[in-house]
Amino acid sequence: MRPILEVSGLSRIYGPGCPRCIEATGPDAERNVCPHCGSIVAVHDVGLRLMPGEILGIMGESGSGKSTVVKLLNFDETPTTGRAAFFDGERTWDLFGLNAAEKRWLRDNRMGTVYQNPHLGLNLDISAGGNIAERLLMSDVLSYGEIRERARDLLARTQVPAIRMDEHPRRFSGGMQQRVQIARALVTNPPLLLLDEVTTGLDLSVQARILDLILDLQERLGIAMIAVTHDLGVIRLLATRTVVMRYGRIVEGGLTDQILEDPQHAYTQELVAAAL
Amino acid sequence: MRARRKRRPASYGFGFLDENAKKELRRALMKAVAIPGYQVPYASREMPIARGFGTGGLQITLALLGEDDTVKVIDQGSDESVNAANLRKFFALVCLGVTETTRTTDATVIQTRHRIPERRLRADQILVFQVPYPDPLVVVEANAGKRREMHGAANYARLWTKLYEDMVTFDEITISHRYPTRIAGHYVIDPSPIPRWDVPKLHMADCLYLFGAGREKRIYAVPPHTTAQPLSFSDVPFRVEDFTDEHGKRRACARCGATGTFLDELLAADSVKSYHCSDIDFCTETLKATQCAPSSKSAA
Repeated sequence: MRPILEVSGLSRIYGPGCPRCIEATGPDAERNVCPHCGSIVAVHDVGLRLMPGEILGIMGESGSGKSTVVKLLNFDETPTTGRAAFFDGERTWDLFGLNAAEKRWLRDNRMGTVYQNPHLGLNLDISAGGNIAERLLMSDVLSYGEIRERARDLLARTQVPAIRMDEHPRRFSGGMQQRVQIARALVTNPPLLLLDEVTTGLDLSVQARILDLILDLQERLGIAMIAVTHDLGVIRLLATRTVVMRYGRIVEGGLTDQILEDPQHAYTQELVAAAL
Repeated sequence: MRARRKRRPASYGFGFLDENAKKELRRALMKAVAIPGYQVPYASREMPIARGFGTGGLQITLALLGEDDTVKVIDQGSDESVNAANLRKFFALVCLGVTETTRTTDATVIQTRHRIPERRLRADQILVFQVPYPDPLVVVEANAGKRREMHGAANYARLWTKLYEDMVTFDEITISHRYPTRIAGHYVIDPSPIPRWDVPKLHMADCLYLFGAGREKRIYAVPPHTTAQPLSFSDVPFRVEDFTDEHGKRRACARCGATGTFLDELLAADSVKSYHCSDIDFCTETLKATQCAPSSKSAA
């Protein structure tokens, strides 16, 4: 089976960089700041394979580089080195070799991102429906009736009451803001969704409903997702496969059950033990 | 008592601006015409009127005028407002040989604020707009660098979202003037504060439209025979002001009786409303034509 996304050798170094950066950082050195030149090796040599309809978990502590991976895939940051191929139906996109217009088109039409903080993914000064409309307008849907209909449909699917469609998301609860953000990400039917700490900061019952929603959407729409989180519970519930990151490197990867039941790397063992 | 010496015009060269300034302006104009709708930056000069009083339009007109030109200045359709009359006098003072006029048909260069003349302009005429805010994206994006990127990528989704929000809140698009208009299928311009009524006149015109923003230091153009599409939804067509009264009848100008013009609402001392053509020259010409008509009929 062909993957939908294949990433290899992905690196991002902030700072001038020096030849000794790589050997002086990483999980063995227990740091990601190079002691020789002061550069931050945020991500180094990350490889991922995402199959269609699959949820891949990226787990790690703060500063492990997991969010940077999502930012790189989302074109928010430019990688220092690395390749990523996005297999979208007939087309294959070399993600890091695109020009600005292609990146924008891909991001507006074929990818969706849900951020931890709804402020990043939503414009809180326009209505919930307007936020969804904006994404449709970006992909040149210019019929007001069609936009209304699709926004209504998506908000219903993400369990946002239809009567609140024309309200500003500023007045919504955190969980509802997050659901609007998911609706916005899904409106163009993207085959790939990036989830960056989507449940962090929400209370437990709301977390559970968001996770249910994500699983339900994955089941019904068959969207492939990358879920970044530091929460083992989220990983256990969502991800079929998981990679564990520390100091910018992948220390362990495999089936989620395997990693949680029989962790091999010392850091993963510590992490799993701490959660129990 | 000594006889007062006759005042001579100040010793400026033709067109008030120095030759290098005019050259720079003309280059910016050429570029603006070459890339329809693109906002060309230029070095806006200090003028003898304050920024915001039409310095952008003034500089363009000064760079365009030659000795054989005939210039008309309108302010909200009127030739006689203080601003229009003063600018016209200024042109006569600093461009010796240039003819002043109030007649649209006679003018070769027309400088305008807030209106496009009702009579369709010819290929040998140029309309120069005074623009307060050149960038239509300023309402949705505060960062000028990002705005420029958005223009480059023709990324106007956020402007459309604003129209969507208008539709949701008011069931119609409430922009009355400065209606964002897409030129030649790419750049969206702010067509200066002209009413919606005038926006269709930008589309496939015979004349050249030039826009000058003095304070914001931008020049842009809508060349002849160029498409100009006001932003709208495919199922919510763009509408101009309709001027119908409470009985659904189109109001007519109280002075000349025209029913196909943009009307100003005037309030008399006894607070009775009346409606008049905003384009005074058009109104006067219509009046003359109708007054002549019966006499010619009786002669026949």
